[in-house]
Amino acid sequence: MSGGTESPGPAKDYRVNFFKPRAGFMRREVRFIWLMLAGWSLLTFGFPLYLAWTEWTADGTGPLTVTTLFGFPFHYWFSGQFLIVWFIFLCFLFNVLVDHLIDRFRHPRAHGGDRHVH
Amino acid sequence: MSTETFKTLPALLLGLALAVFLLVGLFSRLRRGTSSSYYGVGVRSIGRIGIGAAIASNWMSAASFLGIAGIFYVKGYFAFAYVVGWTGGYVLLLILMASQIRRFGKYTAPEFVGARYDSPLARLLAAVIAILISLIYCVAQYKGIGLVFSWIFGLDYTRSLLLGTLVVISYLVISGTLGASRNQRFQYAVLILSFLLPLMLIASKLGYNGLLPQISYGKALQDLAGTPARIETAPWAHGSPYQWLALCFTLMLGTAGLPHVLSRFYTVPNVRDARWSVVWGLFFIGLLYWSAPAYAAFARVWQVRHGLPPMAPEMADLVVIKAGEWAGIPLWVVGIIAVGAISAAFSTVSGLLITGAGAFSYDIYCRFLNPQASESKRMRVAKGATLVLAALVVLVAAQPLGMIAEITAVAFALAGNTLFPVFLLGIWWDRANKQGAIAGMLTGTAITLCALLLPPGSALGALFPWTSSAFLGAPLVVLVMIVASLATPPPPEEIRRFLAENVHSP
Repeated sequence: MSGGTESPGPAKDYRVNFFKPRAGFMRREVRFIWLMLAGWSLLTFGFPLYLAWTEWTADGTGPLTVTTLFGFPFHYWFSGQFLIVWFIFLCFLFNVLVDHLIDRFRHPRAHGGDRHVH
Repeated sequence: MSTETFKTLPALLLGLALAVFLLVGLFSRLRRGTSSSYYGVGVRSIGRIGIGAAIASNWMSAASFLGIAGIFYVKGYFAFAYVVGWTGGYVLLLILMASQIRRFGKYTAPEFVGARYDSPLARLLAAVIAILISLIYCVAQYKGIGLVFSWIFGLDYTRSLLLGTLVVISYLVISGTLGASRNQRFQYAVLILSFLLPLMLIASKLGYNGLLPQISYGKALQDLAGTPARIETAPWAHGSPYQWLALCFTLMLGTAGLPHVLSRFYTVPNVRDARWSVVWGLFFIGLLYWSAPAYAAFARVWQVRHGLPPMAPEMADLVVIKAGEWAGIPLWVVGIIAVGAISAAFSTVSGLLITGAGAFSYDIYCRFLNPQASESKRMRVAKGATLVLAALVVLVAAQPLGMIAEITAVAFALAGNTLFPVFLLGIWWDRANKQGAIAGMLTGTAITLCALLLPPGSALGALFPWTSSAFLGAPLVVLVMIVASLATPPPPEEIRRFLAENVHSP
């Protein structure tokens, strides 16, 4: 079919917009995505910014770099080892949440006729 | 000029390993009972852990195997921008794209772009970009191959590079002729064992806890702290907070936009397995990244004990092997590390060359140059393109460019500046259209290339570091795509309906 006809279909809403997700499955999924993005950016980008904010000298030495954990400076252990664990945890959590969500949305309308797949 | 001598044992091990890979590839093809496609992506349910191992093996290249330890040896804490970037990117990939790409159901990045944006031109651009990414990524791998070959065979760098290329191509040709498929789970097992076991030996040889070298090298860092050979653990000793964040962010976007990483998700049997395999894949990748800095730390410990100055940065990418040699573990164990590095580079190179050649023969040659080409003609073109790409890579890799991790980062910057925005908006914004995608990909390519040419001292060069141009570049490309899409008609309703009802339904 040729596109370009601006008329929005009377009943069908094909909107896909991360910032304005349609009600239902997509809105809930996007809520989870926001949650994960928050956890992801807070520790990935928040931590270096916090280091820079609390530093005593220009090379970044500060309260977190003189504290040690498992023999490593804390900031070192946090970036080099803990963040990977954190990422694995985020992925795990996201999968659990989305699995639940999908099961909830699939089963009540297992025979619903609202999917027009050609 | 090389100071190395020919080492018989590692050379024999290398030949043996390549033969075993071929045999296992043949065996897994026979068991599968079907001829796998030229892309080498056999579709068979192997469970989430198995797919995770395949993701990790697909991912682990010379950049992970040699590059992380090398860059850590030179730049200390700054190297964690690579570690964090190359793992955190998988979070983005999982939450924003993995299931949607799987539901969209296209097999390569150019195919996805062509279908989503309903535009042969966008598909052509995506194919060219995929080829460029493959080339840059390969250059870094070849550097690793050259270095390790020069260690094994005692040749200088350029000759080792040529020898390595010859071996890669013969390996590709032989496995192609025999029809061997890549058994990625087996490859992962070989890679990770050849990385972890020697490290445990090195740690105990030097008097640290050999059971958990990932933790016990903290002690090594402390022992180094007061010496001239210390590894800089201070956060900004080798780069400002901006450079750290820009690099980290660039690598994350690139991870979520690399064609050969994305294509793992097209072939997984179902969406749920696609998602869960990421968790396993990330864990398997983590095993390597938790351990890599330990090699660098132990190498420095040995140098301090023997009163030697640190290695020159040009040689630092060899630190994983050097650490083993210096610590005095048996030569055949060091050989195992070297063979692990070579097989990491080999599997990545063959995957990338095939992806690149596939993009050329399928997306460019058959679409634009010779639409009537027969299947056998197409295969011949793909094979020819593989050789041409391999030769191009040698020419570039012969130049001294930077460390392995840095060269790889450029490929990530290009992916983050072009394919990542095109996938992101293509999946999450129905209004994104072909004009937007084309404008975005052109802008992204231009930004990446300009960042390579900018003088490092200039104000713009500081904002767009050559390895990290996607930090500002990708948001800029997204902006260009939004403006260009809104200024032109929306995409066909058919595509928007497919997106809303198939790609975004539970």
